[in-house]
This record gives sequence, C-alpha cells and structure tokens, in this order.
Amino acid sequence: MSLLDFSSDIFIAAFFLYSGAFMLYTIAIMGRKWSGRKPEEHTARWGKIAFAASSIGLLCHLAYFITRWMGSGHIPVSNMYEFMTFLSMMVMVAFTVIFAIYRKIILGLFAVPISIILMAYAAVFPQEVQPLIPSLKSIYLNIHVTLAALGESFFAVGFAAGLMYLLRTVNFGSKDKNDRKQQRLVEFTLFSIIVILGFLVSVFAFRGAGYESVFVRPNVTIDSPGQENSTIEKVSYKMPPIVAPYDSEIESFQSFLGMDKPLFEAPSWMNGVNAGRKFNTVIWSLISGLLLYGLIRLIVRKPLGEAIHPVLDGIDADDLDEITYRAIAIGFPIFTLGALIFAMIWAQVAWGRFWGWDPKEVWALVTWLFYSAYLHLRLARGWQGRKSAWLAVLGFLVVMFTLVGVNLVIAGLHSYAGTD
Amino acid sequence: MSSKAPLFTNTKCECGHQNPVGTVLCEACGKPLEEKEAESSENLEMRYDGVARRSQRVNPGIIDRVWNFFSSVKIAVYLIVLTLLGSMLGTILPQESTFLNIDASTYYKQEYGTAGDIYYKLGLSHTYESWWFVTLLVMIGASLVICSLDRVLPLYKALTRQKIRKHRQFLTRQKVVLVTEVQDDPETWVERVAGPLKKRGYRVKTDGGALLAEKHRFSRWGPYVIHIGLIIFLLAVLARGLPGLNMDQHLAFPQGEITQIPDTTFYLENKKFIVEFYTEEEMPEEFRGKKVLPKLYETQAVLYECTADCGDPSKKPQLNEVASHDIRVNSPLSYKGLKAYQFDYDLTPVLRSVQPELKDSRTGEVYGKFKLTMKNPERSFEAGPYTVTLKEKYMDFGLSDEGQPVSVSPYPNAPAFLFLITGPDLPAEGQQYFYFPKQVDKTKFQQTAINDKLGGGSRFLELEVGDMKDVDFSESTTYLNVRVDRAMPFIWVGAAIVMLGLVLGFYWQHRRVWLTVDDGVLTLGGHTNKNWFGFRREIVGVLGKVDMAVDEKTLDNGGGLA
Repeated sequence: MSLLDFSSDIFIAAFFLYSGAFMLYTIAIMGRKWSGRKPEEHTARWGKIAFAASSIGLLCHLAYFITRWMGSGHIPVSNMYEFMTFLSMMVMVAFTVIFAIYRKIILGLFAVPISIILMAYAAVFPQEVQPLIPSLKSIYLNIHVTLAALGESFFAVGFAAGLMYLLRTVNFGSKDKNDRKQQRLVEFTLFSIIVILGFLVSVFAFRGAGYESVFVRPNVTIDSPGQENSTIEKVSYKMPPIVAPYDSEIESFQSFLGMDKPLFEAPSWMNGVNAGRKFNTVIWSLISGLLLYGLIRLIVRKPLGEAIHPVLDGIDADDLDEITYRAIAIGFPIFTLGALIFAMIWAQVAWGRFWGWDPKEVWALVTWLFYSAYLHLRLARGWQGRKSAWLAVLGFLVVMFTLVGVNLVIAGLHSYAGTD
Repeated sequence: MSSKAPLFTNTKCECGHQNPVGTVLCEACGKPLEEKEAESSENLEMRYDGVARRSQRVNPGIIDRVWNFFSSVKIAVYLIVLTLLGSMLGTILPQESTFLNIDASTYYKQEYGTAGDIYYKLGLSHTYESWWFVTLLVMIGASLVICSLDRVLPLYKALTRQKIRKHRQFLTRQKVVLVTEVQDDPETWVERVAGPLKKRGYRVKTDGGALLAEKHRFSRWGPYVIHIGLIIFLLAVLARGLPGLNMDQHLAFPQGEITQIPDTTFYLENKKFIVEFYTEEEMPEEFRGKKVLPKLYETQAVLYECTADCGDPSKKPQLNEVASHDIRVNSPLSYKGLKAYQFDYDLTPVLRSVQPELKDSRTGEVYGKFKLTMKNPERSFEAGPYTVTLKEKYMDFGLSDEGQPVSVSPYPNAPAFLFLITGPDLPAEGQQYFYFPKQVDKTKFQQTAINDKLGGGSRFLELEVGDMKDVDFSESTTYLNVRVDRAMPFIWVGAAIVMLGLVLGFYWQHRRVWLTVDDGVLTLGGHTNKNWFGFRREIVGVLGKVDMAVDEKTLDNGGGLA
C-alpha cells in the first residue's frame, strides 16, 4: 500500500472516529437525564470517553496529513480538498486547546460537528494529488495557509460557543416581541446549517447515483485585430438541471423523476457558463435543506432552537460567553499573522506587491476588521452576552465567505484553489 | 464613557486627594466619586482605573471637539464598520486596476450591463483609490492616534501611582470579590498569603493589613503597541504615494539582449528564459492528456549598472555587472532595493537582425550585403557601388487614420524601413525603397506595390535575404515587473509592531488583587482585563494554599466577564 493510499484510508478512519465521538458527546450530555448515575458523574465519565475518541480521531487526521505530505512531496494545503481537510483538522486542534482550558464537555457537542461538516465538504472536491504550479512553490505556502486556517479555526470554536450561548439564553417559551425575534434569528441560523447539510446530501446522493447532464454554449469573442474566435463552452451538471446556463443548448440530458428538460434558464447577468450550474446547486441545496428541516420538524414537533435548548440546561451562560470571547482572542493574533502579515510577505515575494486589493485579500481584511470591531465593542463598549454571541456567529459567516464564497462567486488571483 | 461632568463639581475625595474633573474613581483610594456612582452597587467602571481623560474636559474648544470626536471608541467602531462595508463593495465587480488596458467608461457597461454601468458611475470600479475610501483610512489613522493618546497617558498615570490600601467600596464592587472572616492577626495573614501570590508571579506590596498584588502589567500596553504599529503601517502606505519612493514597470526582455530599465542607470540582460511543464508521469492519472500544468518559469538574468556614457546616444554605455539571479516566481532578483519579478513570457520569436542583399532584379547580380539590426540600426550602408541610407524606421508598421505610415507600438512586431538608395543608373536625388524584413509583412503591406509606386516602372533594385542563417531571432521574451519600493521596510516594521502588541495584549492578562484585613474580616477585590475564568481559578488556588476553601463561582460578583 502506498503512502497516499494509507493517507486516504486513515482520513476516512478519522472521519468515522469524529462521528463516533460526536455520538459519545451526545450521550454524555443527553444521557445524564436517564442514566442511573448522578448527572455530573455521567457527563464526566462519558465526556472522557468522547474526548478520547475525538483525540484519537485527531491523531488519525494528523497521520493523514503527514503521510499525504510525504507521499506528494509538498504540504497538502494546495487545493480546495486539501485546504478543507486541513481546516477541519485545525478546528479540532482549536477545540482541543479550548477544551484543555475550560473542560466543558458540551463544547464537543458543537465543535466536533463543524469539523465533520468541513471534512464532508472537502470530499466534494477532486482528491488527487496535484503537482504545484510555480506560484505556489514557496515556503510561504506552508506558513500563510496553515496559520490562517488555525486562526480561522479558533473563530469556528468561537462560533460554536456563541451559538451555544444563544441556544442557552434565548427565552424560547416567551411570546414577547423581542424574544420572538431572537427565536427566529436562532432558527434561521440553524436552518442555514441544515441547508449546508442539504448541499452535502445532494452532492453525494447524485454522485452516488452517477447523475450527469451536459450543456453547451457557443461563445464568440472578437480579439483585438478584429478576428472572430468561436469556442464551444461545455458544462457538466452533476445534479438534475432545474436551471440551465444562460443561452445554452442541451447536449445530453439524463431524465430525473420524469423531468427531461430544465425548468428554466439562468438570467442573463449570470453570464459565465458555470454560473448557471452553481445556481442550480444552490437551488438543490435549498430544496434538500428544506426537506431535511421539514423532516426534523416533523420528528421533534417544535422549532429546532426550542428542541436543543434543554440540552444546554445547567450550563453556565457566563462561561459560554467567556469561551466565545477567549476563542476569538486566541485566534485573532494568529489570524492577523497568517492571513494578513504572511499573506503580505508572500504577495511581496511572488507578485512584487504586498497588497493588491484582490478579492481574497479584501475579504481577509474584512474578516480582520469585523473581529477588530467585535473586540472594540466588547472591550471598550461593554458588548457582552447576547450581542457578543451574535457577532461571533456572524463573524464565522464572514470567515466562511472569505474561504469558500470568494472562490465560488468572485474568484480573482486565488482561483487556483479550484472551487467547483 | 458618556459621563458628562457638570460644570462645577467638588472633585476632592474624602481621603484628601484632589482629582481632576472627569475622574470616576478617586485616583488615590479608588472610592467612587460621583454621588450616583457612589450609591450604586453595580460593578465599578474600571477602564483606565476611572482616571479622567483629556476628552472629558469642560468647555471644549474647537480643537477639543475634534479631539473628542476622534477619541471616541464608538466613532472608531463606526469607522471600522464603514471601511469594512466599503471594502466589500469593491469586490462585487473586478476593479479597474485588475485590467491592463481597458476603457472603463465603456467596459463595465459592455460586460455587466446597466448594473455594471451604475457600478462604474458610482466610482466603485476604483473603490480603493476613491476619495472617500482614502478619507476613511486617514480618519482611522487619526482615531488610532487620538484614541491611544487620550487613554494611554491617564492609564499610565493610574498604574504608576497605585495606593496599596483602597476604599472598601472599591474592593466590594470589583467583579471578583470575597468577604470572609479570618482568625489570624491582619499582618500575619497578609504575610502568609503573599508567599503563594509571589509564587504565581505576582509582584506583592503590603501596607500593614493591606495588600496589592499585580502581574503582567505590560499586557495593558498591548492595544497601544498595536495602534502604534498600525500608524507606522498606514503612514508607510501613504508615503508610497510620494514621488521617487516608488517605481513599478512591466518590461519586456528579449532573450539574449541587454535592455535598459527606463529612468534608471540599470540594464538587465535576459541570458535565457526557460518554461517547463509537468510531464505526463508527474501528473495524476485523471489529468493526463487533459490538463497542462506549468512547472517552472525562469529568467536567467544579469543586472548591469551603467558607469559611463549613460545618456549619450552616440556612444555605447559602459556597463558593469552588479548582480545575477535566476528569476522565478517567488524568487525575484534583488539589488539595492531594485527588484525584478517574473511576470509573464512570450514564446513568439522576435526578429533581432537581418542581413539583406542588394540585388539587381534584371540580372540577378548581388551588389553587396549589410547587417540591419531592428534596434538602433546604423544610418547608412555600402553595397557595391550603391549607398543605402536609412530615412525612417517603423517598429510595428501600420497606417494612421490619415493613411500615413506610423509605428503602432514600440515592439518589433512588424518592423519596416524606408531607405534612400543612391548610385549608378538611379535618379540624382536617389530612389526610395520600403523594406519589410518579415515575409508575412511583405505580403500584408504589399511591399512590391509600394516600391513600384515610389520608384516608378524603371525600378531594378531589390533588398532580399538570401539565406535563413542571415536572419537572427531572439527565441522568446520574458516580461519582468521591475520595482523599487522604498517604503517597504516601514511596512514590515509596522506589521511586526502590530504583532508584538497583539501577542502582549491577547496572550497575557493584567491581573490585580487588593485585599485588606480589618477586625477579623478579609475583604478581597480582584481585577483583570480579560480571562476572568482563569483569574478566579488562580485566586482559589492561592487561597487554597492558606487553607481557605473557596468555590470559584462564589468569587463571581456578576456583571459579565469582559
């Protein structure tokens, strides 16, 4: 067995260990009510087992990382698959650090799933080892990407703790106008997470079924001496096309549930041939997300926030507030160093300018400004508790847009990260 | 922060200390000063230890008002948020600066329709150079300076003259409080607890039955260090706009030639340019035959400095080799602040020189051969009995709107030469002759037809290249980005200071414990600027060493955990 084969096997092992650990954390927290033991004893005992499982998972994850590095000859953070697997590993590292400080078992219940979702998201992308293009051949690939990911992972843990704070403190029984607003916002946050799950479910379900439809679009460009260049753009849909690319023709169409042509065409401003495909993916994610959400609602028969709320009973809200802040305070300097300073150093060496207002750079700055505002509001204006928790939740949204959204929607110089 | 001091207040504390207007907590004993503050039982406002800031002056003048505006953290947060939103807007569509040459006024409309046109008209196509964005950055700079000065001086004053014995109210209204009974004599107990505190790195001062323990005060300077770093950074960024500090050119260097870098005394020679692609074996199976991945772009470059005859077109400049480097992406050539980065390349061969023969088209007789270089050709040549004089040179031949021959670019894409030939059997004033060295241009621009017109029907002379070895090409051209950026060291110093401040401020915390023992009652107050959780745990640990069992939660006096 080659190193790379071993690497992908142990990665799958890590995935299942995390999933198992997630269930153990659930038992540790939920089981305290029906186990014969005293609740604290039960949580401490099962919490230890759960932490052991997630730590072994992390060791496997590290083994994946090291063997892939050895097998490919370069640090495995050079494309979207490698970056997402690395980010999920760093989320576990950040979780472990925060766990070591605060010893809150329940943190595992919320942080480990983030890592699992990121791992699943990584699997959406092609997994082959790719040789490095000249611009990535630099020691700064190792430093910039890893530090940025580590800083962002602490923000992820801050997000988890902030969401926990909200689930713990929002008054889900109340009919008061303000409380209703908070309930709705929490519900929307949870729904958004379910839409991401919906995306993953659709990708893997249609991939498993081997679905494919192909569209073509003739594209005529006129270059400077006035010569007409005609090319045919081809786009392959891996999900049934509800929406076709703008101005395109069907080359092959695999019928799905009696649907044998796209329902409509993308609007003209989505003029890239891939824009239609991405739009189609968004629609499918929403459909599966809504189905999933509806299913869960049918089972629990109440809003998700209200359903999760009792899980956090007896957890000190101030501790959650403190964990949120602490995670962000630990992550902020690391993020600054990795995502801004080393980014500038690398940009200076590779492109001759330390800053070029490339979309990815701008969004790293936006993330940094966002957390700066968070810190100022908290430290100098006394924004704590509820407001601070919402900012931590919103901040992670900004982080994810910087990491994924920019590549998906805007592209720019970081497009070699190859998002699909 | 918004506490507005009334015009006349008695700011003298009961301990006898005279405090400036705006003081919240007595500078000496820490007693809350304002009546409303004194009666409350809430946690104390411990920012800058309650010392008055400049921005809290009575009767503000115009300068004070500006000062007050920029010293407000609220304003600072607004500035941050506005910059954040402005930056976002600039990423909706590509900025003008990402294109090398477009006409922005039509480009955005063409590519993105009406939305693109609006985007352009709002000036968002150059967001980051727009006056409002730069103003925001300058205002953030002002806010950084004034906020820091407004706070760091009072804080410094407060922290350097702390009294050990504090007012009881000061202690009981901290966020970490413990009031309990102790059996020992006050001084003995204080001595006992000083030991474990010192062990944990606290600097301990005692005054009878009172104690002040403090550690990691430097962490309080973290935010101000960050701000100093950011100011240096922003100033360096602004300075880059000054003339002479900055140079940025994209230049073409044909292989095998020494090319001058304009506006400098430097010349760069492209000895060889290499481009390599990954072989099929090096690629993953899925990509084989489908994708081509570049492996290496390298320009083997030598940098020369001109030592004499530099600006004189009639003489050859004397060059002195100063540096040589294999320039790759991520590995620029660097010499005394001048840097050359691999930017692009072109594998189209570029004509360097030809050696045409002057021939008699009637007899086929060859009168002579001369060497014509595309760059800096000689002015006249001898070919047998004939003299060929160069009248005009076009590097990239084309016709202007008026039908006149012009050079449309300085690059030798379609070189053309207009000669005047004099000699036997020709008119006395000579005969004009247009020469296109490239075969493709000869046909495209109809060399024969032009010359027939210029020379009339009796034309019998032709310039032709007899052999391919008389043609000299440069195989490829490398494009380098040549830069000078004198402000860079300041950028890095600023960034390093920011990092230092971040580490100081976020990875350490300033912790203080005050305690007094009076009549068998211990009153303990504790303050830290962050991480109350760890702080409470530490105090419990210390008290445990003097056989006092306390639960972490009982220390919590509420009021959140900043």
